[in-house]
Amino acid sequence: MAKDEFLQVVDLHKRFHKLEVLKGISTGFRRNEVVSIIGPSGGGKSTFLRCLNLLEVPNSGQIIFDGVDICDKKQDINLHRQKMGMVFQQFNLFNNANVLHNLIDAPMRIKKLPRETAEEMALRLLGEVGLADRVDAYPHQLSGGQKQRIAIVRALMMEPEVMLFDEPTSALDPEMIGEVLDVMKRLAEDGMTMIVVTHEMRFAREVSDRTIFLDDGHIEEDKPSHEFFDHPESPRLVSFLDKVL
Amino acid sequence: MTFFNEMAMLFTRYNSFFYEGVRNTLIISAFSVLLGIVFGTLMAMLRMSKILPLRLLATAYIEFIRGTPLMVQLMFIFYGLPMVGIQFPNIPFIPDFSRFAAGIVAMSMNSCAYVAEIIRSGIQAVDSGQMEAARSIGYSHSQAMRYVVLPQAVRNILPALGNEFVIVIKESSIVSVIGIADLMFRTKDVIAVTYRTLPSLAIAAVIYFCMTFLGGQLISWMERRMSHGKG
Repeated sequence: MAKDEFLQVVDLHKRFHKLEVLKGISTGFRRNEVVSIIGPSGGGKSTFLRCLNLLEVPNSGQIIFDGVDICDKKQDINLHRQKMGMVFQQFNLFNNANVLHNLIDAPMRIKKLPRETAEEMALRLLGEVGLADRVDAYPHQLSGGQKQRIAIVRALMMEPEVMLFDEPTSALDPEMIGEVLDVMKRLAEDGMTMIVVTHEMRFAREVSDRTIFLDDGHIEEDKPSHEFFDHPESPRLVSFLDKVL
Repeated sequence: MTFFNEMAMLFTRYNSFFYEGVRNTLIISAFSVLLGIVFGTLMAMLRMSKILPLRLLATAYIEFIRGTPLMVQLMFIFYGLPMVGIQFPNIPFIPDFSRFAAGIVAMSMNSCAYVAEIIRSGIQAVDSGQMEAARSIGYSHSQAMRYVVLPQAVRNILPALGNEFVIVIKESSIVSVIGIADLMFRTKDVIAVTYRTLPSLAIAAVIYFCMTFLGGQLISWMERRMSHGKG
């Protein structure tokens, strides 16, 4: 296990009743690294990602984040989650609040940021994703692509150390996928650490440094993206890539 | 004499009966709804508690109340409790306090169960993604509940609560059986004095309808104000 990994996963197991979804996952993530996780549906990709910030509580194993095991019940998970942004397939913007409120509420309430600072930051980040003019809109007035870009900004507002993406483009119309991927690509170029569960093979290949193939609760293959796609080894990965590429 | 003329005549002559009945019906309903909401909220919290015994207790209470007639519950409170030594005291200056107390207790215990279910289903109807998203950026469970889930739940809850209010007004007519002089009770008085059954009942029906209709309008007006600017 490399020393420069700030997020390490050791022998992670997760069961839903009798169904074993994660059967012992061990890996690590370095700062500024962009990692894609691909694999067939039901293979455990989303569950794995959701375990990283304990939205799902693993049955056994360790998740060591900045040197502490966050699975330890004594750890304040709310504190760690502030440092891990998450973007969902279904966006999950707060429906009862407008865009600005969606963005500034958590920084003000949890990080005690003054309102002016939070608003300034929100407007700057909204500008960067091209949505500065939608600051007063409510979620139901926005397109899927706009919602997802705002959800990304909402996570960024907490200045996280790592961003988790759970199939961020799967619920989008095809013409909106590009605008979200562009934002993610720029985020990667800016050096954000990203862990992305995705079906976008081009993103995995071209943007991420490393790609993990998760199938049937195991990591089948885990290596630098260009090698991963040019020289897949495991037969299951070869047949998977045959189907999706 | 036509039916409507007869109604008008009866109402003019016995309007003090009907006024007193309306007043008592409104008193019973208002207290029952108010207490029902307060205790219903608590009951909903117990019903969704993480602690299993509390959850079971609340579930049992709700199922029992919803599964037995209000009439039976009222009889239990009014006749049953004194038999085991629990009396509602009579206090000076408020006539019939013990009857009213029994009526209000029974009605609000009943309403409490329905309100608890309304609140629980209103909260659970909020997409679970809202809670997850809030937790993922670092809100605690109670912060997420307070600032994200509950404001959305209120919009599910309010219409059903209005409906419950209307139901309580109508159901309160049952307290006449324990001798509370509500609208139904006073209507029977008018019938007993005049032998004019149908016109008297028609007057009562019109008055009940006016109360529930106005109550319903009031609630939908509040709903419209609350949902302003939100989708």
